[in-house]
Amino acid sequence: MNAYFTVFRMRWKMELQYRGAVIGGVVCQVFFGLILVSLYRALYASKPQTMPIEAVASYVWLQQAFFRMQLSSDSELMDKIRTGGIAYDLCRPLDLYGYYYVRILAQKLLGSLLRAAPMLVFAFLLPRGVGLGLPVSLPALAAFLMCLTAGLLCTCALENLTMAFTMRTLDSRGVQAMLNLLMMILSGNVLPLTLYPDSWQKVITLLPYAQVLDTPIRIYTGQYALADVPRALLIQLAWVLLLVWAGESMWRRHQKRLIIQGG
Amino acid sequence: MDTIRLYIKSMRMLMKSQLQYPASFLMQTLAQLVMEGGEMLAVILIVDRFDRLNQWMPGDLYFFFGLMSVTFYLTEVFGRGVTGAFPGMVRSGQLDTLLLRPRGVLTQTLCSAIDPRRFACIAVGTAALALGSRLSRISWTPLKGLLLAESVLFGMLLILGLFMIEAVFCIYSVKSVELVNAITYGGRSACQYPIDIYARPLRVLFTVAAPFALVMHVPAAYILDKPLYGWPAWTAFVCPLAGAGVFAVMYLVFRRAMRHYRSTGS
Repeated sequence: MNAYFTVFRMRWKMELQYRGAVIGGVVCQVFFGLILVSLYRALYASKPQTMPIEAVASYVWLQQAFFRMQLSSDSELMDKIRTGGIAYDLCRPLDLYGYYYVRILAQKLLGSLLRAAPMLVFAFLLPRGVGLGLPVSLPALAAFLMCLTAGLLCTCALENLTMAFTMRTLDSRGVQAMLNLLMMILSGNVLPLTLYPDSWQKVITLLPYAQVLDTPIRIYTGQYALADVPRALLIQLAWVLLLVWAGESMWRRHQKRLIIQGG
Repeated sequence: MDTIRLYIKSMRMLMKSQLQYPASFLMQTLAQLVMEGGEMLAVILIVDRFDRLNQWMPGDLYFFFGLMSVTFYLTEVFGRGVTGAFPGMVRSGQLDTLLLRPRGVLTQTLCSAIDPRRFACIAVGTAALALGSRLSRISWTPLKGLLLAESVLFGMLLILGLFMIEAVFCIYSVKSVELVNAITYGGRSACQYPIDIYARPLRVLFTVAAPFALVMHVPAAYILDKPLYGWPAWTAFVCPLAGAGVFAVMYLVFRRAMRHYRSTGS
């Protein structure tokens, strides 16, 4: 356990090194947030929907602020497999799945905290209907934070599963890109899931991609009432367990068949 | 003429080398198709839920989306040297070799890379254009066809010019400044939709600073027979020239910046 904690701390420190990139990332995300909010405002002006515009604006800002929780392709592992550097990892007295899980966790947690804090402050200062609104209630805020944590565990498990795919082939850029894109579309980043056709939403909200950010945000904006929280949390945790199980067994299987490249 | 032949020859060579790994190429192309398909899906779903956007009907929205998509990704296919490869060339010192050869740096940069995977995105954009033209019942005339070609051509120059901002920053700072990409990729995202739906600051930004609206929306609105802001017809033919203007300015800035270029060495 101690070893995993050390890995986590090392990754955390590394992430702190790139503060310049954080500022650039924040400005970019804010700009995209502004564009998206103005687009939805124009759409709402033509035809208002049941979900109020204030909630859509909050949805957009929360999605942008926690953008770092989306899947990303970690080229480091791919390089390790291609150059044979993975052999060093295999020597460590650690479970490799756990080792990579903790690394991803540190990266995503700190990456999103560093970006979310300034962005959320900025979004709060914007006028009502453009910026981020307050959560519907204090208990909803608590539930939001709880579900966001579950969402974080879910996205890390998802990414680790993607990495297990990577071990199969030497060049999996295509597969990985495709999985990441599915994430962008089905997580509500391209278009809020709340604006998808209602019949689609019934299915999409059950998929693991929706667990990451969509579920917490819906609780924040009040689309899910407090009574729905236990059910939502249960679905999230079920996915976390399933994904961790699938990822771990896949890692173990591929590890046995792994060929060390290079020499 | 000679330069163009050189460019075509390099493109052919690069294309061949890209196709050496067909399986990987196919997968990546497929990924691009899914990506742009997803962007288009967003437009379709928006149309499904909102029916229209101010005076713009669904067909109009597809047309605007398609025009942006085709123009942007044509630039990325054929201008990959500027839109993607340049920062790496500065960082690795590869740019030095270009300085030794008897051709312009920009020409050689353009000749150095191609990104054929993006053809998948162009296919999606073309489909959107066709769908939009059908739904909006555009009555095509040779003049309108010519205008569409003009808009795409000058749009490519505009996007190339905007990507050169990043290249110039890169020459001074070595590190690539991704922040600058907010204007290119942000412009693409914002101007997939007609400019007049946005609030004033964004409208000014994309009309004056990065004139996507002049290059694409004014002619597209003319083709759709819904002149933007009710401007007279001749503006549709003159406004796209702004794209060439941006490119010309950036070309001069780029030339100046190259004089300050200091190799990263090694």
